[in-house]
Amino acid sequence: MSVPIVETRGLRKVFPMPAGDVVALDDVSLTIEPGDYLSIQGPSGCGKSTLLHILGCVETPSAGSLHFDGRDVARLGDYERSRIRLTSVGFVFQRFFLLPMLTAWENVELPQSEAGIPRAERRDRTAELLEYVGLADRADHRPSQLSGGEMQRVAIARALANRPRLVLADEPTGELDESTGGQIAGLLDRVNADGTAMVVVTHDPALAGRARRHLGMRSGRLLPGDRR
Amino acid sequence: MSPLGLAWRSLRRQPARAVLGIAGVVAVGALLFDMLMLSRGLFLSFRDLLEHVGYDVRVTATEAIPGTGPVVRDASGLAASLRELPEIDEVVPLRFGNAWALGADDLELAVTLTGSGSSARRTWSIVEGENLPRSASDDPAAPAPLVINRILAERLDAAAGSAVELQVDSDGFTALPPLTFRVAGIAEFSFAAGGQPWAATTLPAFSRLRGEVEPDTADLLLVASAPGVESRYTVAAIRARHPGLNAFSNAELVGRFQDENFAYFRHISVVLTSVTLFFAFILVTTLLTVSVNQRFGEIAGLRAIGFARRRVALDLLCESALLVGAGGALSLPVGAAVARVLDGILRGMPGLPERLHFFVFEPWSVVEHVVLLSLTGVLAAAYPVWLAARLPIAATLRDEVVG
Repeated sequence: MSVPIVETRGLRKVFPMPAGDVVALDDVSLTIEPGDYLSIQGPSGCGKSTLLHILGCVETPSAGSLHFDGRDVARLGDYERSRIRLTSVGFVFQRFFLLPMLTAWENVELPQSEAGIPRAERRDRTAELLEYVGLADRADHRPSQLSGGEMQRVAIARALANRPRLVLADEPTGELDESTGGQIAGLLDRVNADGTAMVVVTHDPALAGRARRHLGMRSGRLLPGDRR
Repeated sequence: MSPLGLAWRSLRRQPARAVLGIAGVVAVGALLFDMLMLSRGLFLSFRDLLEHVGYDVRVTATEAIPGTGPVVRDASGLAASLRELPEIDEVVPLRFGNAWALGADDLELAVTLTGSGSSARRTWSIVEGENLPRSASDDPAAPAPLVINRILAERLDAAAGSAVELQVDSDGFTALPPLTFRVAGIAEFSFAAGGQPWAATTLPAFSRLRGEVEPDTADLLLVASAPGVESRYTVAAIRARHPGLNAFSNAELVGRFQDENFAYFRHISVVLTSVTLFFAFILVTTLLTVSVNQRFGEIAGLRAIGFARRRVALDLLCESALLVGAGGALSLPVGAAVARVLDGILRGMPGLPERLHFFVFEPWSVVEHVVLLSLTGVLAAAYPVWLAARLPIAATLRDEVVG
């Protein structure tokens, strides 16, 4: 039996606020296996993004445990958590967060150079990824010269740059029209089909429907369903 | 992409801001460079001036500035006594005073006059004609030899061989007759102030011109140590033989000026250097802080995809280094040009030796400039680096989406 990529037990996240603590996550237990395709749906403010951030080691839980590739994330420092994000997790954001001063090629190459991948290998991988997302001919374009869908495709290529085991997508089609969103959804399907586990947080039922596992969230709690 | 490469691209993204930032660093860096040159400029220049003359020890009657205090009596006897010391190579007694040079059409020019004993080394260098004779035979009937500077030569329309009349400054009660001198040569005087007429003659002629009843005196004796002898040993030997006299080396004289007269410039320089560095600090901190504030989303994105705090910090330090480095490098020639202008203005003050400079370049000034600006760059980046490194990734990503 393979080690889960992510395993959480009793996750709780509380944001202290002047008006009183806000419980964003409450007793969330979840396992993500290699190759999983999971969607998380729920109303705004229910804790979907917070859960995604904790799964991606961006945020730390207030209570509960999180194991990534069998390692207790609570015991890791900033650098180790950053290395997990760099080498094992790919993030796809609603707002893309591409670096505007870099070309599509450079944006995809950036995480690889940070991970210490040799130049020749980076070149081949970047070319392969831009080809994969259908933007080989736009490699020299800056984000400002790309459409929203193209920017999201560059972001997906960047997320895949270091061959992560898990891709976390937070409303990946939220900024796109229906047709472009459909193309991005198709691309995410393909990424998962190629063996990368995928967790998609979305309001979009069509996008959520493409996953093999579906979770709902309300008020920081996972609704009964397939959590494993 | 290396931190330096990413920093370069970040700066290029907003070229106007980068150029303004660099221009600001150029301005403060130039001022900093000038202040560093000023802080030791007079000291270095004064030391160079003293060493240029070729005598490393000075002997006076008291600690008063030569020409303003009591004279050394029996100057020739004292000089002979000092020459006997094995530490000493050469001794020359000097007198200083003022005189009027009389020219055609009732022209009267104030002249700074030096009376010099016999010596091989002079406090001036001949550019035309001949020097004063090494051992002057004093014939009161014959015109005494005189060397004059170019200014005086031009004002009197004199050249080597010309006759020049000098008369001492009248005190209102006595009026000595003028003496006629023969111009032996045109000279550049080491201590001459720019634009001022200077002349030198022999000690007997100097005394005769002033009508002195005690001619064998000196305001100052210049002493050259024997080859291989350090000045301090020469000073010690003179003090041992003539404890009543005031002997001091060039280094001691420069040190005294550095502690007293030049201290004002050093203090001004320290204050302005501090102010300059503070401005550089504020400028770079402001630029980087604004830049970080505008890029919270990007930085959070970078952190989310795996950039560690230290890498984000390094990116910002590199940005600071590029701003300060480019500005600092450009500030050196700008600072040198400004120093040249300021030096010219300050040297226009009356009575300053022409060879004296306020702003003096030395490699150490560049080293200090680089070190101080580098430290400022690092300190200036500290707050924006802290902002970026402590950025809450998830909250910032959320805010960016909501915003």
